[in-house]
Amino acid sequence: MKQKIFFLSLLLTSTFFPNKKLIAQEYFTKNGSISFFSKASLENISADNNQVISLLNTQSGTLRFYLLVNAFHFSKAMMEEHFNSDYMESDKYPSASFKGVIDNIVSIDAGKDATYQVTVTGTLEIHGVSKGVTTAGTVTVKAGIISATSVFKIQLKDYNIKIPSIVVNNIAEEIEVTLNCRYQKRTSN
Amino acid sequence: MKRNSVKFFVFAIILIAIIFSILGYRMWNKPHVDIMDTIAIRVDAIDLYKDFVNDSALAKIKFINRILQVAGVVKSVSVNQQHEQVILLETPEPDASVNCTIEGKEINIKPGEAISLKGICIGYIGDEANIGLPGDVFLIRCYHVYRK
Repeated sequence: MKQKIFFLSLLLTSTFFPNKKLIAQEYFTKNGSISFFSKASLENISADNNQVISLLNTQSGTLRFYLLVNAFHFSKAMMEEHFNSDYMESDKYPSASFKGVIDNIVSIDAGKDATYQVTVTGTLEIHGVSKGVTTAGTVTVKAGIISATSVFKIQLKDYNIKIPSIVVNNIAEEIEVTLNCRYQKRTSN
Repeated sequence: MKRNSVKFFVFAIILIAIIFSILGYRMWNKPHVDIMDTIAIRVDAIDLYKDFVNDSALAKIKFINRILQVAGVVKSVSVNQQHEQVILLETPEPDASVNCTIEGKEINIKPGEAISLKGICIGYIGDEANIGLPGDVFLIRCYHVYRK
């Protein structure tokens, strides 16, 4: 009798909550951080965006990021205006995204403190241009909290971001991007 | 006479150059908009969220890059990696919020309490992200408004 009840509950669970197992492997943040740094001969420029959405599946290794370009905050108001209107054209291309997969580990055990050196391969879309990228990063599990960090470089010309010749000494052609996300477990759909 | 004209011309050029340099320097270093001193569009958090979900195109025109004063009920209070306070305001969708990042001093507030925040609306991340999470409306550089 007990066996019958067990199998009946198993059947009901799998019928009405078919994605429960998949969701249990998903971690997300809606306030991840991405900052960039431009080192040029005349000045250094940096900006932060702390409204990055990211979704990490610890079983499949899929990793996604999505951000609004106009959320980047600069120390100078004029830099922010030029960034949005002249370079990133945030009215025309309001978002940037990454969709990829961690390709050198099988799965992340969220129940055990560990540090994973990972390689992520995917597609980075900036300024309406999609480009395949591979970058290194670190995934850390500490007291059940998963964090991801990465530092990588992008070439502005790869994403069709044009720098006028008059400010060519103010903005680097290669930008350093730093990512820092602290995830929470996804509990519902 | 001719020498005086040349002197005057050189002086005028130098003066114009100085004026333009000062103007350029002041423009380059102009401060960010003062959120608290700017007139805001007043909106309820639930209405703001519904506006973005129901007609995203219209909501973008009405709200993006504008200073809003949003009234709502606090769902959660946390701190991001940059040690900025993040206050989520309730919406009709349990997993979606009006996501407000506070600039400056932390606000002493608890979930369930009503609050009014003033900040810049940067937009809504929802269906277009195709990320499989309920969307949030984001406000940055937020301040607590004590008087309604």
